[in-house]
Amino acid sequence: MLLESVAYARPETVDQALEMLSSTDGAAPLAGGQSLINVLKHRVASIELLVDISRLEELRTVQDRPDGTLEIGACVTYDELEHSEPARAAHAVLADVAGHIEDQQIRNRGTVGGNCCLSDPTNNLPPILVALGATMNIQSAGGVREVPAEEFFEGYFTTAVGEGELLRSITVPPLPAGGGAGYSTVAVGADSKALVRAAAMVRADGQIEDARVVLACVAPAPFRHTGMEGALRGSEATAAAVREASLVIGEDLSPPGDVHASADYRREMARVVARRSVWQAIEQGGGRRG
Amino acid sequence: MVEADQTHAIEVTINGERQAATVPARQLLVHFIRDTLGLKGTHIGCDTGSCGACSVIIDGKLVKSCMLLAPQADGAEIETVEGLSDGGELSPLQRAFNEQHGLQCGYCTPGVLMAATFLLRRNANPTEAEIRRAIRGNICRCTGYVNMVRSIEAAARATAGSIDAAARASAVIDHKEEEAQ
Repeated sequence: MLLESVAYARPETVDQALEMLSSTDGAAPLAGGQSLINVLKHRVASIELLVDISRLEELRTVQDRPDGTLEIGACVTYDELEHSEPARAAHAVLADVAGHIEDQQIRNRGTVGGNCCLSDPTNNLPPILVALGATMNIQSAGGVREVPAEEFFEGYFTTAVGEGELLRSITVPPLPAGGGAGYSTVAVGADSKALVRAAAMVRADGQIEDARVVLACVAPAPFRHTGMEGALRGSEATAAAVREASLVIGEDLSPPGDVHASADYRREMARVVARRSVWQAIEQGGGRRG
Repeated sequence: MVEADQTHAIEVTINGERQAATVPARQLLVHFIRDTLGLKGTHIGCDTGSCGACSVIIDGKLVKSCMLLAPQADGAEIETVEGLSDGGELSPLQRAFNEQHGLQCGYCTPGVLMAATFLLRRNANPTEAEIRRAIRGNICRCTGYVNMVRSIEAAARATAGSIDAAARASAVIDHKEEEAQ
């Protein structure tokens, strides 16, 4: 397929990349390109200059700090995150989510930063990052600013990253004592387009002390369902109690309906995935009752 | 100053051979491989990154070559289906596809062979489930997945042992009804 004419540049530092992005009209960062190349093929965006950031070493590492915090560079690929020892040790659920994105070819090229900055509401990583309380580190010529993942995903294909800025890395705090994480999806096919997703982080010790429950695909951006979180807090860490708490999810959701599933079906499945992700989090944290 | 241009001078190593060319920035890697280098073994099935027929290995990583721009491959080592055989001698993987009828129309086969090559380098003894996951990105419109899986299993056994062992292994492959992918 013939793409529209475009210029390409491969800067050697993040500073050079930021300079090019802020000084050129119609400049866009190119990382793994697993969505952007298709956007170019369909000619739905007018891009004059592609700034290839995929090889910038500064953006390509996964590091664990002594306090257990994980820092993931924006241009780390899904495959690298899946097989990263520090990532798996700190957040096995996050590594597993990365390992179930589409197919091997896409996992070898697609990047963590790209998955977040595209902000397609069905994308895999945003809900788990919100559940884990991650921080998005956004760099510009003026320095780095930190935005909580919860505020980063603003809506359909929009994020907190502004003109002349780049997502540099994502920091994920360690799980709290007694905490665990969970993730559940209903998709059209295995590792395929998601109809509804949920991610959870729960702290429990026979009784649920704290819970973060994030729903995705049912709104323009992933969001915490504070109603279910409130219903979980203080209740027993049993499957029955989790089920009961999930019933507060309902008419407050206005999910899209399409050829794959009706809005009603997505609403019903939102309860199911919320329940599964919370239960997985309780099991992972070892906090179930009995 | 960083060069920002609509054409780029690139250099790649393709199947062990060094090649230099000046490419348009908008050229997809698959077109560079097929039209500029004349290696037509890499197929274009869908042109949208969905089918995997254009899969090649770049710097050891399996990728879809319609989802990269040619300048992004600058400096890379590229392996295509043409590089699998050794001077006309089929590789164990190709031989297994031949013996196990791992292809029907053959259009998706180059991509499947590259996906299987990537898998077997990473995991020399994959389970059936791992094989199915490894070719998840490759669509066969003949739906011939069952024999592909058998072929890859046979290739894994062949490379693990001698050619005789491979023949024995392919003879004992369980031909039970399997669910197509």
